[in-house]
Amino acid sequence: MHGIELVGVTKRFGSVEVIGNLDLPIEAGEFLVILGPSGCGKSTLLRMIAGLEPVTAGEVRISGRDVTQLRPGARGVAMVFQHYALYPHMTVYDNLAFGMRNVGVAAREIERRIQEAARILELEPYLARKPAQLSGGQRQRVAIGRAVVKEPLAFLFDEPLSNLDAGLRARTRVELARLHHRLKSTMVFVTHDQAEAMTLATRIAVMNRGRIEQLGTPMEIYRRPATRFVAGFIGTPAMNFLPVDRLPAVNGHAVVKLRDGTVLATAIRDADVGSHDALTLGVRAESVTLEGAAAARGRAEVIERLGDRTLAHVVLADGSTLVAQAHRDSPVAVGDDVGLAFEAAPLQLFDAAGNAYHAPVSR
Amino acid sequence: MSVPVPPPPAVAAPAAPPTPAAPRLTELRAPGEQRWANGLFVAPFLVLYLLLLVVPLFYGWWLSLRNADMLAGTSRFVGLGNYVELWRDSIFLGAVRNTVGFVVMTTPVFVILGLALALALNRPGMLAAALRAIFFGASVLSVTVVTLVWRLVMMPDHGLFANLWRDLGGSPVNPLSIEGLSLAVVAVVTVWWIIGFPMMLFLAGLQQIPRELYEAAALDSAGRWRTFVAITLPSLKRTVALVFVIEIVLQFQLFGQAWLLTGGGPNNSSRPIVQFIYEKGFREWQVGYAAAAAQVLFALMLVGILLQMWLVRKRGVSP
Amino acid sequence: MTATRHPMSGGLGGRLALLAVVLLAASWMLPVAWVFAASFKPNEVLMVRTDGLLSPPFTLRNYENLIGTSSLLRWLTNSAIVSLGQTAGVLVLSSLAGYGFARTSFPGKRWVFGFVLAGLAVPEQAILIPLHRLFAGLGLHNTYTALIFPRLAAPFGVYLMTQYFKAIPRELEEAALLDNASRLKIFLRIVLPMSLPAQATLGIFSFLTAWNDYLWPLVSATRPDMYTLTVGLASIQTNFAQAEGIGFLMAQAVFAGLPIFIVYLFFQKYIVAAVSGTTVG
Repeated sequence: MHGIELVGVTKRFGSVEVIGNLDLPIEAGEFLVILGPSGCGKSTLLRMIAGLEPVTAGEVRISGRDVTQLRPGARGVAMVFQHYALYPHMTVYDNLAFGMRNVGVAAREIERRIQEAARILELEPYLARKPAQLSGGQRQRVAIGRAVVKEPLAFLFDEPLSNLDAGLRARTRVELARLHHRLKSTMVFVTHDQAEAMTLATRIAVMNRGRIEQLGTPMEIYRRPATRFVAGFIGTPAMNFLPVDRLPAVNGHAVVKLRDGTVLATAIRDADVGSHDALTLGVRAESVTLEGAAAARGRAEVIERLGDRTLAHVVLADGSTLVAQAHRDSPVAVGDDVGLAFEAAPLQLFDAAGNAYHAPVSR
Repeated sequence: MSVPVPPPPAVAAPAAPPTPAAPRLTELRAPGEQRWANGLFVAPFLVLYLLLLVVPLFYGWWLSLRNADMLAGTSRFVGLGNYVELWRDSIFLGAVRNTVGFVVMTTPVFVILGLALALALNRPGMLAAALRAIFFGASVLSVTVVTLVWRLVMMPDHGLFANLWRDLGGSPVNPLSIEGLSLAVVAVVTVWWIIGFPMMLFLAGLQQIPRELYEAAALDSAGRWRTFVAITLPSLKRTVALVFVIEIVLQFQLFGQAWLLTGGGPNNSSRPIVQFIYEKGFREWQVGYAAAAAQVLFALMLVGILLQMWLVRKRGVSP
Repeated sequence: MTATRHPMSGGLGGRLALLAVVLLAASWMLPVAWVFAASFKPNEVLMVRTDGLLSPPFTLRNYENLIGTSSLLRWLTNSAIVSLGQTAGVLVLSSLAGYGFARTSFPGKRWVFGFVLAGLAVPEQAILIPLHRLFAGLGLHNTYTALIFPRLAAPFGVYLMTQYFKAIPRELEEAALLDNASRLKIFLRIVLPMSLPAQATLGIFSFLTAWNDYLWPLVSATRPDMYTLTVGLASIQTNFAQAEGIGFLMAQAVFAGLPIFIVYLFFQKYIVAAVSGTTVG
């Protein structure tokens, strides 16, 4: 099995350090998504694994072998580019065969691998065509096919779905998941789209400004984000953040007060929070409902009916806004005076540095 | 430049698959790293460039400092003597006057007429395409064809112009033989020959102006002239500057048209600098003197370009 | 060249402008049309009058005489060899150098590129005499070598190809790197085939420049059998006052101008692109 390891990797462009001393262990066979906003360095990281970008310091290891100084072709990885990068003057068949021909693979083997990949990716009718004659989705599959026929140690994907329209994107996502399940290869996938990350990844590495803020499974990242950045980046609608004041603990649990006076008891151990004072409360819309015992009151300003649920943007007494979730058939209307009920367990606190504090995991 | 020494092969944990041998030399070298070998791509051109452009350039400077007479076989160092002599040479000064006058005559015409043609012909359709082809087609002819055609056209008794004059009731005359007019005729022929080039440059510039600018102007109720002045011209400033520079560079190098149409006459009134260089260098074989004249031409061209760029900047045009 | 409708070209003003241009174009063509028509009239007739060209008598005698002049065909051959040779040379050298500058890195690349670009400012007249001396010293005048090589040092082609190669997406070459293609293979199998439009443009442009070159062939090819068509044509226009030669002269002009004009009509697209290419980027 082939895992990838980045050890102490640093990248500088001139005097600007974009990635500093980063460690990332990628397990063999997993589908790791590197998720982050544009400019965070995720593509640079991927390209360093591929060998397209030299590493300023640190090591890249593939299958335990140090490949940091190896040229891209010798590393045994295959890459699917954002804009496909198909050779425009060659047929699909030649596009797929090019890499194998360069290393002297026998013609029969080339034929076999191409036919196999074409079958998996439904490319058989297009083998004689040139890229210009294909649709975006078809070109995508050719780009994936070019990677598949290499039988690489690992697959690298650089935002491959960004160029597709919404419907095609969703379908291709499913195809990629199937491909991973079928080939069981290590796959590293870079994207800024958190929905893609959540649905495809076995683990997600959330990156921000050259640092990995959290490495974990999608559910871990969603439920227990390690930092404020991660909490705000994952989930739609975005998590609610409200500045709070700290009150004396009750039963060992931290208690906070919203600016409008509402007092909320969390399930977070007060001792964990230590002596931090400038705190922010984080709570997702699905944990704030309009039904049930109201802890706070406010006025509904904007109502979004999504079909499967209703989102209400509620203005509190102090002017701050909260997004709460209601039943899909909720009768709430704009301007209504509503009550907000908070689930205690999912409440999170963030200190000034962005570190997160959660309730202990319950069995 | 030395190839980075490969680190000893990583010895993985015992349970891992057998470690491969140390990477071969050909496997090393991450991309983006500088390699002398990459220079091989530019080497062939670079060799010719050095031999056939750079070396001759310096050789030319060296020659201009010598009094080299090929016929007599002598060559001695005279420092700036050639240049001093040029300064006093009335024929050379006349040639400079002629050339500068020629550039001043033709460049504005190239810009204005070229722009006008581009504006009028910036439309789809076969008629416009055919018209563009006509104006540009003249420029693919060689200078000898062009001058031959025009000499025939201006033949004193039987030329096309002579016929036209006669039909209009005038007595035909060959403008090439009139001292004040000969250079102007060379200018007219030159414009006829090469107008297509600036026209094409302006067409390209016009097509780079985004449609949306015009649409916004239309919504703002801007009339045709207003649109031209407020939208088209400012967007074209870069192209105008480019055409000016290119034409100055090209027209300073005037030779063929003058040489073949007028021979520099009558009375040296249309002799350009390049003709002077040619005559001194290849007829009288005073190569040092001619080389000096060539350097003066080079310098004048540079001055012309810089002047033009300064003027453009002065008018508040951003490059 | 496809022209989009300029918003100022509609309406009455636009039509008047077009009419003016049509008239201008007609008069623009007049000299050439006149020469072309007159070349089919016998010399004796032309001696007396040169109007009334559309009525008989007509003759092909002028052209027959032309073919009979063996020099002309020799000159045509010389022009063809020199032009094709120069074009091939420029394409090969410029493509290699252009790729080297655009996509590879070697020590001092920026300096070298700037050094080459500076050469764009040097006019051929400034190096005319030294170049002549150099080739004289090597005994290479009156050879195809001397006629072809000097222009191969011109930086324009390198500049053009560098700009073009820079515009090819990097991802394509990165994909090829991952496909285990060597630098040379990437150049020959991926980048070069993609640059055919630029090659065509530069090729046509170089061909035209070489064909119409006057000054250098004039000083380098001094033996009549080595003249190019451009130089040779100028050499036989010695005594213009010989009226009996008028039709013959006209035929010469047509003969020299027509082939290149036909080439132009066929390759208009590329020639125009070469011209416009200098303003793009």
